[in-house]
Amino acid sequence: MRSFLRSIRVRLTLLYSGVLFGVAALLVAGLYLGLSLSVRDEPVSQAVIQQRVQVNDGPQTEERTFVDAQAFEHQVNERTLRNLRNFSLAALAALFAASLAVGWVIAGRVLAPIAHITDVAREIQARELSRRIELDGPDDELKRLADTFDSMLARLDLAFASQRRFVADASHELRTPLAIIKANLELALTDMQATAESRASAAAVIGRAIDRMARLTDDLLALARLDAPTAGSAPVVLAGLLEDAREEFAAAAAARAVAIELDTVAARPVLGDRDVLKRAVTNLLDNAVREARTSVHLSHGEDGSWAWVRVADDGRGIAREHSESIFDRFWRADDARSRPGGGSGLGLAIVRQIAEAHGGTVELLPQPGEGATFLLRLPLAASPRLVA
Amino acid sequence: MRVLVVEDERDLAEAVAAGLRREGYAVDLAHGGDEALVKARVYPYDLICLDLNLPGVGGREVCRELRAAERAEGHPPPRILMVTARAGLDDRISGLDDGADDYLVKPFELGELAARARALLRRNGDGRTSLRVGTLELDPLRHEASEDGRPLALTPKEFALLRYLMSRPGEVLSEFDLLTHVWDENANPLTRTVRVTVMTLRRKLSGSPIETVHGAGYRLREDG
Repeated sequence: MRSFLRSIRVRLTLLYSGVLFGVAALLVAGLYLGLSLSVRDEPVSQAVIQQRVQVNDGPQTEERTFVDAQAFEHQVNERTLRNLRNFSLAALAALFAASLAVGWVIAGRVLAPIAHITDVAREIQARELSRRIELDGPDDELKRLADTFDSMLARLDLAFASQRRFVADASHELRTPLAIIKANLELALTDMQATAESRASAAAVIGRAIDRMARLTDDLLALARLDAPTAGSAPVVLAGLLEDAREEFAAAAAARAVAIELDTVAARPVLGDRDVLKRAVTNLLDNAVREARTSVHLSHGEDGSWAWVRVADDGRGIAREHSESIFDRFWRADDARSRPGGGSGLGLAIVRQIAEAHGGTVELLPQPGEGATFLLRLPLAASPRLVA
Repeated sequence: MRVLVVEDERDLAEAVAAGLRREGYAVDLAHGGDEALVKARVYPYDLICLDLNLPGVGGREVCRELRAAERAEGHPPPRILMVTARAGLDDRISGLDDGADDYLVKPFELGELAARARALLRRNGDGRTSLRVGTLELDPLRHEASEDGRPLALTPKEFALLRYLMSRPGEVLSEFDLLTHVWDENANPLTRTVRVTVMTLRRKLSGSPIETVHGAGYRLREDG
C-alpha cells in the first residue's frame, strides 16, 4: 500500500477525485439541507390524518373522508426529499468513480514526459553525453525542465570533451620526453663500446628531458590548483611583485645576454593572490627572456579602474593570426617560435586563466615590426571614486 | 640501406639515428617537414621514419607528398614508418591511409623500431628474415654474413654494402647508387670510398660474385 502511494500518478488521482468528491458532497448536502428546511415534511409512518365527517345532506347521511391537504403536502415533500437524497448519493458515487478514472488518465498524460526524461537520464552515462531529451510539446513547465536538462547535458558534454582533449594533449606532451629518455637509456646501456663521453652526453640529454617533464608537471599542477577556488585575496602592490619577478629571471637573462628593463611607478594595489599573480608575470617574463634578442621591457601603470602590466621583448615576434591561439593549452606555432628553450606549452594558458580568475584580461598587443608585447590588465583594488 | 629520420625533437632524433646507425643503416636527419621533403627529393631513401607532429609542413602532409612524388626509375619508393605520440585509433588509421607502411607510438623501444625497420625493408623480398643470393647468406638481425656456410668477418660498411647489393641482386648499381644508399649525407662523393669498400669486400669473398660493369657500376650475380 505504501509503495502504491509513492507514485505521483496515484497520489494526484486520489487528491483530484477526493477534492472533487468533497466539493460535490458539500454542494449536494447544502442543497438537501436548504430544501429540507424550507419545506416541512413528515414521515409516512405518521398515518394520514383522516377526518371522517358526517355530512347531512338531506335525508341521507353520507360519510366522506377528507384528507388534510397540509398533511398530504407534507407527505409528498417527504417522498421528494427522500428521492433527492437517494439520487444525490448515487450521483456522488458515480461522480467519484468517474473522477478516479478521469484523474488517472489526466495524471498519466501530464506525467508522461517525466517518465521520458527519467528514461533518458537513466540511459545517459558519463561517456555518452551526446544524447538529449528533446521533449516535444507546448512550452510548459515540463518542456522547460527538459530543455534545462538538455542544456546542462550540453555543457557537461563540452566540459568532458575539453577535459579529454586536455588529458590527451598532456599525455602527448609527456610522451616525447619519455621517448627521449627511453631511447637514450637503451643506447647507453646496450652499447658495449660506449665511451664515458657518450654516456655523459646521454645522461645530459636524459637530464634535459626530465627537466622538461618536471616543468610540465609543475604547470599541470598549477592549472589544476587554479581550477580550485583561489586561496586568499589581499591587496598586492605590483611594483614590488615586478621587482621580485625581475630578480628571479636575472640569472636566466644574463645567461642569454638579455637585459631586463623595469619601469615602476607608484600605483594603487590590485586585489588578488600574490603568488598566483606573480606566476602570471613570471610566465610572461619567462617567454620574453627566451625570445628576446637583447632586451625585455617590463612596465606597469594605471588606466581608469584598471592596473596594467606590459611585458615586451625584441625577439622574432608572433604572427598576427596567432594572437588568440597562443593562449591555448599546448598550442604550437607552425613556424619557429616553438619552445626552443623548452616551455611546457601551458605558460600562456596559465596566464590567461589567472587573469580571468582575477577579473582581468591578457592579450598580445598588435605590433608592427619585431618583438612581442603582452598586456595584462587587472582591476584595481578599489574604484577610483572611493579613493578620491 | 639509407634511412631518413624526421623528428623535430633533436634529442630524440639523435638517439634514434644513433640506434639505427648501430644497426648498420646510413642515417640522415631532418628536423622539419620542409627539410624532410627537400632531402627526400635529393636522396633515394629506403626508409623514412616520420614524426607526425612537425613544425612547418606537418608529418601527414609530408607523407602524402612523398607518396605523390615521382621516384627516379629503378628506385623503389621509400618505406614510411610513422613515429608519433598520438596513439588514438583515428590517428593510426589516418596515418596508414596517408600512405604510411607502419605506425609506431612514442615512447618506443629502439629495439622495436629496429625490428620494424627490418620488417619493412624485407617486404619486397621473399619473406625470409635473412637474405640469400647464390652461396651468400646475410642475416640483418644478427649482423652475420656467410659464404657457403663460412662466416665472413666484415666491417659495418662492408656489411651494409653487401646487404644493399643482396637486396637488389642481378641489377646494375652505379657507384652513385651505392653511395646514396649505403653512405649518409656526410660522405664525400668525390672520394673513392665506394670503390675502396667494394674492393675490400671482394677481397673477403672467396668467389667473385660482385662483377664490375664497365662504365655503369657493379652487379651482384644472382647465382652468387
